[in-house]
Amino acid sequence: MEFRKILVPVSGTEADEEAMKLACRLAKKDKGRIWSVYVVTIKRALPLDTEIESGIETAEAILDHIEMVAEEQDCEIETDVLQAREVGPAIIDEAVEREVDLILMGAKYKRRFGQFSLGSVAPYVLQNSLCPVILYHQ
Amino acid sequence: MKVVIMGCGRVGAQLAVLLDAGGHTITILDNDAYSFRRLAPTFGGTALFGNGIDAEALKRASIEEADVFVAMTQGDNRNIISAQIAKHIFNVPRVICRIYDPLRQELYDTLGLEAFSPTTIFAHLVQEKIEG
Amino acid sequence: MYIIIIGGGRVGYYLTKALLDENHEVLIIEKNAALCNTIKEEMGSICLQGDGCEAATLEEVGTGRADMFVAVTGDDEDNLVACQVAKHKFNVPCTIARIRNPQNEALFKKLGIDVTVSTTDIILEYIEKEVPTHPLTHLLTLSEQDLEIVKVRIPPAATTVNKSVRELPLPKDNKLILVISRDRKPRIPTANTVLREGDQIVALTSLETEQKLRAALTST
Repeated sequence: MEFRKILVPVSGTEADEEAMKLACRLAKKDKGRIWSVYVVTIKRALPLDTEIESGIETAEAILDHIEMVAEEQDCEIETDVLQAREVGPAIIDEAVEREVDLILMGAKYKRRFGQFSLGSVAPYVLQNSLCPVILYHQ
Repeated sequence: MKVVIMGCGRVGAQLAVLLDAGGHTITILDNDAYSFRRLAPTFGGTALFGNGIDAEALKRASIEEADVFVAMTQGDNRNIISAQIAKHIFNVPRVICRIYDPLRQELYDTLGLEAFSPTTIFAHLVQEKIEG
Repeated sequence: MYIIIIGGGRVGYYLTKALLDENHEVLIIEKNAALCNTIKEEMGSICLQGDGCEAATLEEVGTGRADMFVAVTGDDEDNLVACQVAKHKFNVPCTIARIRNPQNEALFKKLGIDVTVSTTDIILEYIEKEVPTHPLTHLLTLSEQDLEIVKVRIPPAATTVNKSVRELPLPKDNKLILVISRDRKPRIPTANTVLREGDQIVALTSLETEQKLRAALTST
């Protein structure tokens, strides 16, 4: 299986780094390209194109960091900040638009209400993606 | 006083029986005739099958002569609409309405309905019991 | 425009599709989770699962910045309450409610709902227009004045046949605007105009006096 276009959605957890390292290894093997995106969610109380400074700053900091992680692996990546109402659909839309052949994302071990939880984004992506998905679970 | 009660649930039925015993003229409406089993055998008022959000049914319950209208069904929105029909179409002098959702209760209170929320009342009651 | 729609049933669904095509920002609030997911799968993140009557939900979706609020669930009471909350708590400039029971129209108007749409009334109107024997047809409602323009056909056995307009017991403030005879010739009626069998009369009336007008023109 060849992965020439890989999408790595990040959310600012440690799992992101491991996912990116793995993406770099796969990309090098196939001479592929990597895009990393962070989704800023905009509450419905605000129009979708509202610029939320704090949100964008956070996004840029996280993407800068992931770019460094990739550089350490001798990989050049492209990054993008997306604005959307919900994270899952935004990732799927981006994957379709860029015609990627792999979504690779990290997921941190989490508990919610005392029970193991994958959150809402990873299951949504697994369920709705048109291309293969690798979920790196820490 | 002439009182029309909509909704013959536990509270509605008990209220009807209490007011009836107090010498008032009571008509109680419900869209499920089976609910009337809750009325005590001593109840001397009128029990009517009908939908309280229908003006015709309210007329049959002689809402036009009523002094008080009480909306006591399970549905907040049914209570709200029938209370507003009683108040704005039939000009009933006093309209009381049960609204479980405290936020909606606040809103309709400001819109002129005498609305109360059992949720809020009961939570406070239990708090008082606990805190003494 | 930002338009919030309550109820993701058939009406809400097709309404949303049409509005999205016109590039409006649309949000559906739907109670049923399965229905909500179907809409999302097809049209993206434009549906929220929740109760459109709850102030907290409406706050969350930014009802305060909505230009229009449309309640099209199958329940009149839910539509009324959702619109009232939008109007009085969030000051939405235009609220539209779907009505099932035509009796509720007057109430909704009185309670400040800007536009009401009663499917029952719309279908009735079409039936009246399609069934030629129906003596009274609604042509137009002038909603602000509570007036309406109707068309009445004089049936063969009516007591009004061969009578002049002057002799008709018309209700107060009702006006006959036009008389169209069977040979399709229109005339503006005067006090002396004599009515014939099969004449069609266009008249101005009101909701309260409509039945009296009908009786005055068609009773046998």
